[in-house]
Amino acid sequence: MTIVSRPWQRLSPAGRVLLPLAAVVGGLGVVFLGGVSSGILPNLWSWIYEALNDNVPLLRFLVAATAVLLFTVPTAFVIIYLEMKVIALQNLRLGPNRQGPWGVLASTLHGFKVLAKEDFTPTGADVPVFTLAPVVVYLASVMSFLVIPFAPGLFAQDMNLALLYFFAVGGLGVVGLMMAGWSSFNKYSLLGALRAAAQIISYEIPLTLSVVGVIMLAGTLSLNTIVHQQSGSFLDWYVFRQPLAAVIFFVAATAEGNRTPFDLTEADSEIVAGFATEYSGMRFGFFFFAEYVNVFILSALTVTLFLGGWNAPLDLTPVWQALGAHPGAIDLSGLGVGLLIAVLVVPPILTVLLALPFWMLFTKLRFWQALVIGFLCFNALVGAAVLIWAAFSFDAVMGLLWFLGKTYVFVVIFVWMRATLPRVRIDQLMGFAWKWLLPASLANLFVTALAILIIAQVRG
Amino acid sequence: MAEVAEVLRIVHDDPGLRFELLADLCGVDTGAAMEVVYHLWSAGSRDWLRVVATGLAREDPRAPSVTFLWRGAEWAEREAYDMFGIVFEGNRDLRRIYMPPDYRSFPLRKDFLLPDDASRSPGEGVRPMEAAPEPAVLTGTPADLRHAREATP
Amino acid sequence: MTSPETRIRSLDDPSLFVDTPATIYDAIPPYPPRTEREAEFYTLREGEMLINIGPQHPSTHGVLRVVLKIDGERIVDLDPVLGYLHRGVEKICENSDWHMVISHCDPLEYIASMFSEYVPVLAAEKLLDVTVPRRAEYIRVLACELNRISSHALFMGWLALDLGGITPILYGFLERDEIVEMLAALTGQRLLFNYMRIGGVNGDLNHEFMSRLGDWMSHALRHIEDSMALINSNEIFVGRTRGLGRIDRQTALRMCLSGPPLRATGIPYDVRRAHPYSVYPELEFEIPTREEGDSYARYLLHLDEIKQSIHIIDQVLHRIPDGPIMAKLPRLLRPRPGRAWAAIESPRGQYGVYAMSDGTDQPFRLRIHDPSFFNLQSVGLLSPGHLIADIMAIMASLDPIMGGVDK
Repeated sequence: MTIVSRPWQRLSPAGRVLLPLAAVVGGLGVVFLGGVSSGILPNLWSWIYEALNDNVPLLRFLVAATAVLLFTVPTAFVIIYLEMKVIALQNLRLGPNRQGPWGVLASTLHGFKVLAKEDFTPTGADVPVFTLAPVVVYLASVMSFLVIPFAPGLFAQDMNLALLYFFAVGGLGVVGLMMAGWSSFNKYSLLGALRAAAQIISYEIPLTLSVVGVIMLAGTLSLNTIVHQQSGSFLDWYVFRQPLAAVIFFVAATAEGNRTPFDLTEADSEIVAGFATEYSGMRFGFFFFAEYVNVFILSALTVTLFLGGWNAPLDLTPVWQALGAHPGAIDLSGLGVGLLIAVLVVPPILTVLLALPFWMLFTKLRFWQALVIGFLCFNALVGAAVLIWAAFSFDAVMGLLWFLGKTYVFVVIFVWMRATLPRVRIDQLMGFAWKWLLPASLANLFVTALAILIIAQVRG
Repeated sequence: MAEVAEVLRIVHDDPGLRFELLADLCGVDTGAAMEVVYHLWSAGSRDWLRVVATGLAREDPRAPSVTFLWRGAEWAEREAYDMFGIVFEGNRDLRRIYMPPDYRSFPLRKDFLLPDDASRSPGEGVRPMEAAPEPAVLTGTPADLRHAREATP
Repeated sequence: MTSPETRIRSLDDPSLFVDTPATIYDAIPPYPPRTEREAEFYTLREGEMLINIGPQHPSTHGVLRVVLKIDGERIVDLDPVLGYLHRGVEKICENSDWHMVISHCDPLEYIASMFSEYVPVLAAEKLLDVTVPRRAEYIRVLACELNRISSHALFMGWLALDLGGITPILYGFLERDEIVEMLAALTGQRLLFNYMRIGGVNGDLNHEFMSRLGDWMSHALRHIEDSMALINSNEIFVGRTRGLGRIDRQTALRMCLSGPPLRATGIPYDVRRAHPYSVYPELEFEIPTREEGDSYARYLLHLDEIKQSIHIIDQVLHRIPDGPIMAKLPRLLRPRPGRAWAAIESPRGQYGVYAMSDGTDQPFRLRIHDPSFFNLQSVGLLSPGHLIADIMAIMASLDPIMGGVDK
């Protein structure tokens, strides 16, 4: 093959990418022209389009699930950075400040480091279970993302039983932790896993019972409806009608997420890293990510159930209408297949189109550097486009901003607690759950039920 | 030798003396013989009391243990055993405390040569991992001692 | 000359591979028990398991290995294994000069190394019948009390870290850093000062040290109290340390405890008052004691001691005379043949040295009595019945330094 190999060796790396790409594009162009001219291609296209259009719910769900899965990674990165920085500032030190401005790239670099570490299984470990455990834990966290309403219309799935689904899926994390602890051939891991299992299942009961009051007030298990019912001013938020439940929920959520002061499953001054002692590299990264995604989810749920979700504290629609915006003009759940195709096709094309002028005009730039610059320009363009779109349809974007703002306040509270508080012992933890939180949540339940009955009687 | 335990007990229990705090317990190798030195303190006196048990033979030094009076003396006696080979009779836990459990000699004795004469020293610093050699009777470890690397999970 | 048979093989050598992996991970040693206590410890009943908190562990205050016998989460028995930091200091001192002993004894109590240097110096001075100049004595007291405060600040942060609070240790280090910078201005070193000399101290007080000391004294107590206010009344911290590792007076005397663990049980034994050395008879200070004897009492006692130390430093600064800082001694020191026992009060307890001299310029026997060694014995007594998480709290509250424990 010397007739091909010699010129191939003389190509630069960019050329080695572009030449096959040009060949493929050329071939596709020929096929396209042939298809269009012979009438096959439009038929094929309309067949595909109709098939997709008939199954929009399924398609929408797939897109939503993928988006949710992809969203967890930047979320975890942001929360890891917040944790490092906020704890450092509370410890009177600086935290990461060299990786990027103010150290913002620190968690990205941690992600790369975790990928690059050696991935081994300890001798005597049960390899299939050992490998699957981080996956189970991560999935249990990520699957809860499906039901969280980020903005009016911006949710992955609106189920009637959203809360039930949430608690059911959250319980799967216990299985993953037990798998991790049992399959690593290590007594420390076993201790950590048993502690974790005991802790999580004990705190699930006050967690769910405290939420039943909210369910009774809202009349539904669907998170979307719960958020809609808290619209209006901030006095309609459920935290004012169920203060005890909010507190119990927050405390139980801290225990569910294995956060300080209840982080004895990963107490690194006693049983080093607990159930994850034998894990390293990306497997440990999965546990790590799952914990931070859990933090986000628990904060998100607190916000959704008690603090009004994506509702602003005051009803600002007169203000936006005075400014000329039309909230609710575009309903995201109604957008169809066209958006999907646009999202799949436009970014690569736009990136390359934006990169080409840089590559052609600045000769010192390599092609991949031009691609990076093109990607950044694309992001800037998309950001600008979203802002302009927001001017026309404030509903979703403002709702998203309120939701994320409130959620991150709670995330920072979680991180704050980690910086400040020492750890609770296992017997104190279990005693607290069973002797204090459970009776309190039951009492809250009874009082709420009584109050609802009485108010219904009074109102006739 | 057995008088030492008796003396210490008297000094501890006597209501006039009441030397209740054991400040130190150590072994000494004076070249000619071994000694065990106790330092005691009482709330009533301003000075320490030093009790020296001299005359222990260098080949087989034995002394009575004072763990019946002070349980905290257990580790000090273990250290004296480890460093000198003084066997304290009555100590429930007379094993080596600093050196590895299959170490064959007693470092602080005057006839212990330092590891730069490794080939002549009885407790050379480099030891084989395949098979631990026959320990001498004085260490108190049984003859079927295998390699004692206490691996950790 | 090592022969080929004595070559140490690496752990990856396939001929060393054991086909039953369980045996190499077991905490039970591969030989039959040698003593009564070992037999009792390594016999497992139904449901018990041996777990090893190994020499490499974030919470064992150095290289300490503890083998726990646990039943679920409760501890049935505990066996500390020492020797991972054994450096043979006593043997080295037998082959060194009387002056070199100071550098060898320095890293025994590395957190508070002024004390571990002071004691052999004191013993040598007893054998030499040296009168130390008064200015040197006052400077010694000043340096020692500063080191005591820095050690206590670190202790409190460390205790919180072992319980899970990650902030107080940084506050403790902040306090310690100020003092350590001060001592670096005085001695030239931050950790192992090498400052005490037989007959005096190494260098006089200088301007930088005095200015730092003045700045620090103006806010010292307030800063330390603010730092530790985070955990003093924190319910989780108190709930975990109160009632934990309670020692009563009789047990404390039988276990030969000294220092804060002894004073927290109510016995006011402080070497500075019981057997005064240096200029302590002229200084006014109290011996803080507490009655309960648990970990929380030990923690609070350390705070009380910091206050007393600041009071002592205040008095020293007012009383310090002028004069030489070093006595006139010959270069080659040959103390009279004899025995000397000297003890001081270090942050961990009674730190003693029993020195025997045979008239030459090398000590015949230098026995170092370290308080951490005796205090650590109580861990085995206090832990059965508690949970694994409590072991760390108990050990941290007894404040062991493995450098001293292992010598």
